[in-house]
Amino acid sequence: MVNDREPGFNCSLLSDLGARLWNPDQDVSMEEKEEVPTHLNPINSSGGFHVVSTDKLAVHYTSSQLHGHDVGVVQANCPAPVKTLAYYFEIFVKNAGLKGQIAIGFTCENFKMRRQPGWEANSYGYHGDDGLLYRGQGKGESFGPTFTSGDTIGGGINYATQEFFFTKNGKLVGTVYKDVKGPLFPTIAVHSQNEEVHVNFGQQQFVFDIEAFELEERRKQQIMIEKESLPLSLSHLIVRSYLIHYGYEETLNSFDAASRTTLPPVHVAQENGFMEESEMYALNHRKILRQLIRNGEIDSAFSKLREWYPQLVQKETSTICFLLHCQKFIELVRAGLLEAAVNYARAELAKFFKDSPLCSLLQECIALLAYEEPQNSPVGHFLNMAQREAVADAINTTILSTNPNLKDSQHCLHSHLEKLLRQLSACCLERRALNGDQGEAFHLHKVLSSGSKGDRR
Amino acid sequence: MSLFWFVVGQLASTETMSTSKKVITREEWEKKLNDVKIRKEDMNKLVMNFLVTEGYVEAAEKFRMESGTEPDIDLATITDRMAVKKAVQSGNVEDAIEKVNDLNPEILDTNPQLFFHLQQQRLIELIRNGKVEEALEFAQEELAPRGEENQSFLEELERTVALLAFEDVSNCPVGDLLDISQRLKTASEVNAAILTSQSHEKDPKLPSLLKMLIWAQNQLDEKAAYPRINDLSTAALEDPSI
Repeated sequence: MVNDREPGFNCSLLSDLGARLWNPDQDVSMEEKEEVPTHLNPINSSGGFHVVSTDKLAVHYTSSQLHGHDVGVVQANCPAPVKTLAYYFEIFVKNAGLKGQIAIGFTCENFKMRRQPGWEANSYGYHGDDGLLYRGQGKGESFGPTFTSGDTIGGGINYATQEFFFTKNGKLVGTVYKDVKGPLFPTIAVHSQNEEVHVNFGQQQFVFDIEAFELEERRKQQIMIEKESLPLSLSHLIVRSYLIHYGYEETLNSFDAASRTTLPPVHVAQENGFMEESEMYALNHRKILRQLIRNGEIDSAFSKLREWYPQLVQKETSTICFLLHCQKFIELVRAGLLEAAVNYARAELAKFFKDSPLCSLLQECIALLAYEEPQNSPVGHFLNMAQREAVADAINTTILSTNPNLKDSQHCLHSHLEKLLRQLSACCLERRALNGDQGEAFHLHKVLSSGSKGDRR
Repeated sequence: MSLFWFVVGQLASTETMSTSKKVITREEWEKKLNDVKIRKEDMNKLVMNFLVTEGYVEAAEKFRMESGTEPDIDLATITDRMAVKKAVQSGNVEDAIEKVNDLNPEILDTNPQLFFHLQQQRLIELIRNGKVEEALEFAQEELAPRGEENQSFLEELERTVALLAFEDVSNCPVGDLLDISQRLKTASEVNAAILTSQSHEKDPKLPSLLKMLIWAQNQLDEKAAYPRINDLSTAALEDPSI
């Protein structure tokens, strides 16, 4: 609708922009938010034999009955989160009571209450009185030390290795393969008179250093990944093609000049000379237009486009025109020329209201007028440098699409780097989806914000 | 009887279900790829991180101007770091050691192995230049005491001194020490130590991410057939082979 010639292209261009430009503050990691256990669930517990404290973070066995079906079991308020590397919680044994028959473990939702975790199918428990690990049956297997009054015991799930792990007083006791699917509830049990256990779902500092555990787990994974070998100079090649794609011409020239003198020499494949030429398409034009837009000189950008690529700006209602007109309006608001901005909007932007896909974007943009301090308004992101960069990117891509040597207009939409990163994200997500949604996803943003300080390998 | 076969049939079908791979068509996969959000800003950071870590100081400066991406390190320190690296690469080890100490004397103080490797490189350069007497004196005074402290240093020292025993080093078993790759190895060790001293990672993130892509595709291969990128340099998606 926006551009009769290449509707498909403009469509993806817009959706791309939508993701990048119009919601810059949308945090990708928000999708990963899961409910985490915060307290014990006194309703879904065996009841009668024990009392859950009013803060729902402690349990006390008051009864003197000791029948095997009178266990004081209580689950957390929700299952352990799965979209993470590991989950962990701890208990503190305040009082081991008469027999110290305390257990920590994980159980499934329909776990039979009144039984120790580990005694029933699909449940796992580390028991204090014998130090045994129980998984799904009444007979335990040798696992670790016993635990009693004053001990802090932890239970966790390592989603990377698909194992449960247990700790005692800050030290890892052991691991056991997690042979169960579906949600798992952190579970504690008491089973003799006066037993009292407090639980810590992370509200307080853990005795066990879970961060170090996770770091080590990531390091192990990193070692596996580092074993893969890369073709010579691949990173160099990808950076170079990124610079070409976005028209960062001056960076490219410096990069190439430096590459000629590096030791060891960088081997850039020679055979794809043709591809190279095609990638270099309109490099200088794209660089100049990017600079103009980055400097807020929209009128100049318009006139350059009219001179070089008249076909792109011929149609007054094309997406590219829309973006530049919007940007011009934004620059006027930035300069405080509100009257000029209003006039400009009437002259150039009003006509886009007919165009439904652009309408809501336009409305947000014009909303800048409504605020005394547009910079600090809910639509303040329009005034960020990232907005100019995004418009420049859109113009850049549109120019690339005019390359006559291009077989497929979709091909130029993303840089090689972006295609590879998308593939990486999709592979990680798909693998997790096939693994019961367990484990961490890949987020470039997290990778980039981690490790530059302090994390020395 | 019929119920029996029905159950067997059911079992067989669940069996194949669990062992056969999930097939993801190109169309489905492209939709998933489109749902991925990659921030331009993050890609810029990734590129800047590469330029900075690999020491492309001018390109980093230009990239800062052209893309507005701030480097994660003071660009001036790259020039110094690259000067040290170049000095080692061209055999001026003494000069390199001086430059490292100017940058931060703690780097060599806290890194005995690096210091030893630099001294070893210096010895190699003396031998290369035929300065036998000077080499012997240097080995005895500077390197031997360190060899006494550390067994692996001693072995390396002995290996290096062995170079002196050959008139024609081109055929000697430790000739690799004279190879350019030995200089590059030492140079990259110094480079890494300087970066670490500046609280910066010693390796760029991009190669790790590319390796991660290869790894992630291999991992997913076990569970699904999907369009792969086999040639990372073209980033072309190839249809799954079923």
